[in-house]
Amino acid sequence: MAYKRPRASSPSSSQKRSRPSKYISLGTELPEDDGDDGAFVPVWKQTVTDERGRRRLHGAFTGGFSAGYFNTVGSKEGWAPKTFVSSRANRNKDQPNGAAQRAEDFMDDEDLAQAAETRQLETAQNFAGIGEAGAMKDDGMFGLFLTQEETMGVKIAQSMGWRRDQGIGRKVRRNARLEDDAAGDSAAHLFAPDDARVMTVPREQVRRKGLGYLSEARLGDIVENEVERASGPDLHFLQGSKKALAVRKPTVKKSSFGVGILNDTGSDDEDPYELGPKITFNKTLGKDKKAKKPSKFAKAGASDKPVFISKKETSKALAISSRRSMDGNPPLAGFTLAAETAELKSKSRYPAPKIPSGWKSSKGVSAATPANFQSVADAAKVSTLDAKARSTLLGEKPLPGKSIFDFIPKGARDRLADLSGKADLPQGLGQSGPEGHLPAASAQPKDLWSLVPALDKVLAAGALAKGATGWMPYAEDFQKRTRYVSFLELRAGLKDDLPERSRGVSISDWTKELQEFAHAAEVFKPTTGIMASRFTSSTTSTLPQNGGNEANENLRKPVAKPEDPAESAAKLGMYGAMTRSSFPFHPSRLLCKRFNVQPPPDMPPAFNTSGTGFKAQTEEPVSKNAMEKMLHDVLTNGTAMQRPGWMGQAAEAAAPQSQSVEHATVDVEKNEALSNERAPEDVFKAIFGDDDDDE
Amino acid sequence: MPAFPTIPIAKLSGHNGIVHAVAYSSGSQSYILTGSSDRTIRLYNPKKAPPSSVAPAASNVYPPGLVNKYSAHGYEVLSIHVNADNDRFVSTGGDKTVFLWDVQTAQTIRRYSGHAGRVNRGVFGGDGDSIIATGSFDGTVKIWDVKSKSHKPIMTLDDAKDSITDVSVQDGEIISASVDGRVRSYDIRTGTCHVDVIGYPCTSLDVTKKGTELLVSSLDSTIRLMDRANGDMLKAYTDEAFLNKDLRVRSTLGLNDSVVLSGSDNGMIFVWDIMGGECLHRFKHSEMREVQGKGTTAGQTGKKDVVSAVAFCTARREWASAGGDGSVVVWGVER
Repeated sequence: MAYKRPRASSPSSSQKRSRPSKYISLGTELPEDDGDDGAFVPVWKQTVTDERGRRRLHGAFTGGFSAGYFNTVGSKEGWAPKTFVSSRANRNKDQPNGAAQRAEDFMDDEDLAQAAETRQLETAQNFAGIGEAGAMKDDGMFGLFLTQEETMGVKIAQSMGWRRDQGIGRKVRRNARLEDDAAGDSAAHLFAPDDARVMTVPREQVRRKGLGYLSEARLGDIVENEVERASGPDLHFLQGSKKALAVRKPTVKKSSFGVGILNDTGSDDEDPYELGPKITFNKTLGKDKKAKKPSKFAKAGASDKPVFISKKETSKALAISSRRSMDGNPPLAGFTLAAETAELKSKSRYPAPKIPSGWKSSKGVSAATPANFQSVADAAKVSTLDAKARSTLLGEKPLPGKSIFDFIPKGARDRLADLSGKADLPQGLGQSGPEGHLPAASAQPKDLWSLVPALDKVLAAGALAKGATGWMPYAEDFQKRTRYVSFLELRAGLKDDLPERSRGVSISDWTKELQEFAHAAEVFKPTTGIMASRFTSSTTSTLPQNGGNEANENLRKPVAKPEDPAESAAKLGMYGAMTRSSFPFHPSRLLCKRFNVQPPPDMPPAFNTSGTGFKAQTEEPVSKNAMEKMLHDVLTNGTAMQRPGWMGQAAEAAAPQSQSVEHATVDVEKNEALSNERAPEDVFKAIFGDDDDDE
Repeated sequence: MPAFPTIPIAKLSGHNGIVHAVAYSSGSQSYILTGSSDRTIRLYNPKKAPPSSVAPAASNVYPPGLVNKYSAHGYEVLSIHVNADNDRFVSTGGDKTVFLWDVQTAQTIRRYSGHAGRVNRGVFGGDGDSIIATGSFDGTVKIWDVKSKSHKPIMTLDDAKDSITDVSVQDGEIISASVDGRVRSYDIRTGTCHVDVIGYPCTSLDVTKKGTELLVSSLDSTIRLMDRANGDMLKAYTDEAFLNKDLRVRSTLGLNDSVVLSGSDNGMIFVWDIMGGECLHRFKHSEMREVQGKGTTAGQTGKKDVVSAVAFCTARREWASAGGDGSVVVWGVER
């Protein structure tokens, strides 16, 4: 194992100090590694070595004290520490292919190929602009997005003899437009009309605004648009760059919904978050406040830069707005006349062609046409047939339907006839309606039944029972309470007629009340289980109003607690079995020890079952009889574990005998404890009789 | 019927407040211990305190008959009970503590604290007076061990729904009377507690020598003799003049369980025949005389007129009554 040598033993430093001559050797050479020779060594050259000459104390960043496996840091076998470089300041600089991972790092060749494929852009169709070098005129990349495929309109027009770059219409006779403008022969050739450019309405001009919308008077924009429209097709996607080139117009303050904090004009008295109407208060008494003066520091309109409005534009706008529409009236409020369409209209109208005299149309009107021509309406007027007659004429079967007059009674029909003044109304027959549409008495209850809300039968019965014993809602309105009760009875199955509805009550009110009843029954259903044992129903709160006596009464009378029967018996003087009860308790062992008594068995014996009475029981936890019997059992049979097998049978045979316990006869009619007579007087005498009595 | 002691033979004076507790010493019962709301317990020798004696004006002078003073309680002393060996007694008081005293040195041997309210009664019990049973306003009966140095009660009986007013230990049974109108007999041998409903707040208990009957005072101006075996009422003792509706007054059996003796709210002391139930004697405590007839009750309902404690001497024909005026009167047959 090669150790890192201490600095002193490295040949460079040691040989510097005492380099032996190659040729002369005098005496014995001192061993090289004698360590400290007294020469001055600066601190950074001093090293600490262990007893075997290995270097210790490598320093914090070169592995620390005694670093590596057996101090191998820095040696050939060991781990070579590098200079520590803090990556805090420059994280990615020193790591050319470091931690920053890209998606490509995780791709295989196939994925990479696919990714490269997606980079290539192709057009799905053949586009007109591509390859047409000459066509790149003014329309920018417009041709690029026009497909070469002809539209159907173009196809039709072409089949009708139209060519590209021609106008549509009759051919025009005119001179050929040559460079050398030979204006001599006027009626030269027939030319297709000039191609008229399609009027493209720029998107901004398509006013998709509501009625009454006042745009922000951006005159400049209109001018700009007009300028732009003059040149080439309207390319909205190119407008941005064009606009950017144009001198930025000063922005007029816009108004829009809400005013953000960024729209702050800088004046302090304007709360951007103010809600509600602005109310100005007079802060001075006596005189009206003057109109708010512009601030000292900001002149009026200082925030807005001066906007140049050319006189021409304003006059034009004025002309447009004051112009009348075609019918001579000013445009409707909120509408403006379109300035552009006016140009189209201003095209000269050509007068209708004159029909040459003597011209006769080949499609002349035939003379056979009857002179007394009648329109259909006139013919219909003349006809006396009504719908029924026509239907009979046409052989239609009469419709099965009946007239309203078949159903209304005669009196009603007469009244109608009187009112309308028409005597020829059909006779009122007063028939009853068809089977499925009987509206009256029999149908109504059925509908009303559906309105009666459902309620669980048990629940209804419970609510009824609760009402019978305790509290019931609607104590202040007895009629409502009776209605409530009848509803409950209905739902509990005690009744089966519809809940009554008073005269003036509408069905909706009635239904509402019934639903309220159903809800009340659910709410005030009797509590069950644990909850029932925790709550008690309060006494009725509405006391009969009887004048002065009321003041003395408390608002709430204390509810008498159910009295303990033992207490009531005690109050009546019926002491004895009624007033006595007993429960077991467990005296601690120490207490029993202090009383010098045996601790009681775990389960105290049943109290007072035997005739021996209280005293005997207190003296002996286990009666003598029982003790003897147990002892006898053990002596004769041995304990259960020691008993041999054959004795089990005997024990079992003996078991029924021992289990023949007499059942106590309980006389329900008679309570001996109560009916017992007092002990006779002489018993008392015997107990309390004093020795000195006979003196 | 022996003659009932009706003559005041001694007057023990010196207390500055209502005397809540009177107890005869054990054995020959020649000494009387009194506990008062002036926070002291005094040991008197009634033989040296003639009925004409008056309390001395100076507080450092011992009144006639006073043997010793025991003061450690911070509040009124409510009960005193002397053990059979006559060398120790237990006192309880309004400071929620129970003190076990050494009679000779007048020092407390043990101080038991654990009750949450004033301790109404503390009695010795068990084999060789090895425990102290105390009943407190907090509704519990706590049983303390005298023999060990434990500061915790051996047992706490917290069945009562209201203040415990009196506790009695009788031959393996601990009997407690409570304001909730019930007398509870805890039988330690059987581990059973018998609850007898009296119906009115019970204030005092006394057990006959045989242990089969129980004398219970309750706040309906009635004293009842109950049969402990089955809870029957054997006799009820009332009188027209007998008034006990508000205050805790003690009642006791006397003359070998032949008479019932009780103080009252209005300064009278009543003696009933235990068998017949008729009122034999009426005494006026403050006037130290027997009252013939029905007695006077007019205008005598002040707090000072209460006869809060009575004690019967079992060795002689003698009894003592302690009143709200701070004096204890000892009644005997003759001087």
